[in-house]
Amino acid sequence: MQQEAIQQKELQKGMKEAIPIVLGYLPLGFAFGVLAIETGMSVAQATMMSVLCFTGAGQYIAIGIMQAGGAMITIIMANVLVNLRYLLFSTSTVPFLKDRVKPLAASLLSYGLTDETYAVAMNHYQDHEATASYMAGLNLTSHLGWIGSTLLGAVLGGFIPDTDRLGLGFALPAMYICLLVMMIKRRTDVFVAVFTAVVCLIIGFLIPSTMDNLSNIIIATIIGATLGVIINGQH
Amino acid sequence: MDNTSIWLMIIGVSIVSLTPRIFPVAFFSRYDFPAVVKEWLSFVAPAVLGGLTAVSILAPRGVIDISIQNIYIWAFLPTIVVAVKTKNLFITLLVGIGTMALIYNFFGM
Repeated sequence: MQQEAIQQKELQKGMKEAIPIVLGYLPLGFAFGVLAIETGMSVAQATMMSVLCFTGAGQYIAIGIMQAGGAMITIIMANVLVNLRYLLFSTSTVPFLKDRVKPLAASLLSYGLTDETYAVAMNHYQDHEATASYMAGLNLTSHLGWIGSTLLGAVLGGFIPDTDRLGLGFALPAMYICLLVMMIKRRTDVFVAVFTAVVCLIIGFLIPSTMDNLSNIIIATIIGATLGVIINGQH
Repeated sequence: MDNTSIWLMIIGVSIVSLTPRIFPVAFFSRYDFPAVVKEWLSFVAPAVLGGLTAVSILAPRGVIDISIQNIYIWAFLPTIVVAVKTKNLFITLLVGIGTMALIYNFFGM
């Protein structure tokens, strides 16, 4: 196959795999748009925040702090914490991207790294080589879905259909469940996933504030991955 | 917060949310990780998904709720069965969303 045809196919593959993500982002982006306007942002600001930040949890936190009359620095500090997990995610994609995707392209396309695009891509890399075209298809389509649904929410605002009635609130959980099942290849993976889930909940129960900035997930992941290495080392 | 502050806030959030995604790929792509680090990193995805799944099902509103009133737990059951059987993201998503819509509308919680 010609180089161009391969790239085209990879791009389409990425776009196709982004469809479930877009479906999951729809109600979340929409709700962000509605809330942003209610909080005093303009349509342009709400939309640009989704363009420039692309951080669901972080953007909701920003709205929450603004509503509470909090300071700009509080919003930014909270976002440092919320986005810290991407250091781990991004680093763990490196072994798959290295020597396959040019560093500049890989770096720029990592703009679109989220919980969801990360999980879908890592699953894809289990039995496919990483390509810039695939990353572009997956990340840009997902990002466009996020931006588009924010814009819709910001513009339509008042006429919100109750997306909970449509069951869309379960889109992201359903996606996590399936990706988790698909990601489990080794016996140790099962153990690590369950252990991390339990640790995550215990930390969230003992220190509820960690649930707001997702730091419980970071701590639990570090412990869980370390345990995985220890268990594997014993065999 | 005035107009200018909102724009500055957006730019600030943009910087702190994009840096941790871009920096590792930009920086570490030049290095070869030792085998043990690679192995550790290979557990990050299953660990994170375990955590995200647990939180999204057992604390759907940000507070841990392990009770029969938590409809996310009920929707979880058919969804994981379909996920294991089909390993197909789209079908799993449809079953999950469909189940949630049914529970939400007919058991009105």
